[in-house]
Amino acid sequence: MFEARLLRSSIFKKVLEAIKDLLTQATFDCDDNGIQLQAMDNSHVALVSLTLRADGFDKYRCDRNISMGMNLGSMSKILKCAGDKDTLTMKAQDNADTVTFVFESPNQEKVSDYEMKLMNLDLEHLGIPETEYSCTIRLPSAEFARICRDLSQFGESMVISCTKEGVKFSATGDIGSANVKLAQTASIDKEEEAVVIEMDEPVTLTFACQYLNYFTKATSLSPQVQLSMSADVPLVVEYRIQDIGHIRYYLAPKIEEDDN
Amino acid sequence: MGILGLSKLIADIAPHALKEMEIKNYFGRKIAIDASMSLYQFLIAVRSEGAQLTSVDGETTSHLMGTFYRTIRLVENGIKPVYVFDGKPPDLKAHQLNKRAEKRDEAEKELQKATEAGDQASIEKFNRRLVKVTRQHGEEARELLKLMGVPVVEAPCEAEAQCAALVKAGKVYGVATEDMDALTFGASVLLRHLTFSEARKMPVQEFHLDVVLKGLELERNEFIDLCILLGCDYCGSIRGIGPKRAIELIRQHHSLEQILNNIDTNKYPPPDNWDYKNARRLFLEPEVADPNTIELKWTDPDEEGLVKFLCGDRQFNEDRVRNGAKKLQKARSGTTQGRLDGFFKVLSTTPNPKRKAEEEKKNSTKKAKTGGRGRGRGPK
Repeated sequence: MFEARLLRSSIFKKVLEAIKDLLTQATFDCDDNGIQLQAMDNSHVALVSLTLRADGFDKYRCDRNISMGMNLGSMSKILKCAGDKDTLTMKAQDNADTVTFVFESPNQEKVSDYEMKLMNLDLEHLGIPETEYSCTIRLPSAEFARICRDLSQFGESMVISCTKEGVKFSATGDIGSANVKLAQTASIDKEEEAVVIEMDEPVTLTFACQYLNYFTKATSLSPQVQLSMSADVPLVVEYRIQDIGHIRYYLAPKIEEDDN
Repeated sequence: MGILGLSKLIADIAPHALKEMEIKNYFGRKIAIDASMSLYQFLIAVRSEGAQLTSVDGETTSHLMGTFYRTIRLVENGIKPVYVFDGKPPDLKAHQLNKRAEKRDEAEKELQKATEAGDQASIEKFNRRLVKVTRQHGEEARELLKLMGVPVVEAPCEAEAQCAALVKAGKVYGVATEDMDALTFGASVLLRHLTFSEARKMPVQEFHLDVVLKGLELERNEFIDLCILLGCDYCGSIRGIGPKRAIELIRQHHSLEQILNNIDTNKYPPPDNWDYKNARRLFLEPEVADPNTIELKWTDPDEEGLVKFLCGDRQFNEDRVRNGAKKLQKARSGTTQGRLDGFFKVLSTTPNPKRKAEEEKKNSTKKAKTGGRGRGRGPK
């Protein structure tokens, strides 16, 4: 028996919004510690890694480890049926081929349940090596979303370069070029609005705007976003979800063409 | 052509081995293309009002049209194509080639009949059957590819075998052909429908040899024997043994020698002087150029050269050719999107345990069915 209850369904709704454009289907691996999801997009350019810890749920029970393959489009349709303030409960029997979502309104007057068929997906477990990143940048997530949106008007790819002066986002295209520079915040009054840069070595990498725009769908999950970069390795974009876990996106950089 | 019924067999028995992908997922991949296969496709498919495209003096240009535009489509999707041309056919193929020649003669006769009767539909049908990739088509395509900056590899013998060797050596990601033999030759990744027209909206089919072998529960040698039994280009096969029976026999006896010892050869007579041993050797040790000595180099397209080659007598539209050359040039400059595969390794791919259980169930019911023969066929 698997059962997980969240007092506010909105968190789960936002999580799904944050991944459903990138992935069409994914496996939710549930065990004692919580729910994990790890999947690459079809073209193997980006990877989503989601962790929701058991202690972040209002109630969590998982007798046997269970992997549930779900169609995220269908799941999103179901979650749209839940009110933001509703309590959400996810239930499945051991070895079940369906999962049930129960939504209860705050005053307990309305209870709805939705059953969804599970899918048979191959479980692909990827090893993500522990990496020390040369640069980590923390900035307000809304700011990052804004920059990605603005720069994607100029070109397909965006260059992120981090030096000790600050971080620069730039894009070039047919209509011209765009540069956005952010300097480290001098005095931190509000932690949520700060730009914090930790840097061992300067790094410059190029990424596809399209994917960054998919990632920023997670903006509503967290006031801050953290970017981690090292030369020639994928970028990590992390959104912490308060009290319950995090969602991490990995994105392969664009590489200079070599002639062999 | 290729292996008779292999793709259907794989789709039936090992559906996981077949993945349908979009062409854009192959960006950045180097892919070996079986040139004669695709030239043949173009000669058949690239037509206007049923007739091949021709130059002013009536020479066919369909293959050039196809090679030019479809290669551009690949390049625009970030793919780096390599065209591999056939060398001399192996001696074992002579029989197959004779058969094809006979069929062509037949078609020619039919065509004459149809022309006399004025039956347009049949004329077109038999016209297509007469299509043959000639040496000249090959030469022209090579020249065109050179101008486009796309590398060309000359196989000493069969192109599929050379493609397979390139994949095995890690020089390219996969082989694009419609013939399933490439798998028999040991190519780890086979792509079908890659050079199809965009308008057909056909997804690219991707076969992985290791998944195929696992799905069919065969070793590579057994797989080769299975292909020979299904029917390949290099020797005959046993009359009366279809794909289902073939896989059962291979699973039971593991090799053609054992099968011949165990089946009733009166009921299933093998062809006279059945030379399956040589066919097998051909699949295992085909005559190929050492892939490590082959250097694949993509270069800038020669716009003026292309215009000179394609426009004029061959009647290509100059604007479109120049446009194509610009697209090739554009694809060369700039950066390519990297993939995560190189950074993160797949630790394990376990098929969903539930599905495994289901499959086991299916197998056991199958067994039960064969055990209780005569009980009438249950609902599927």
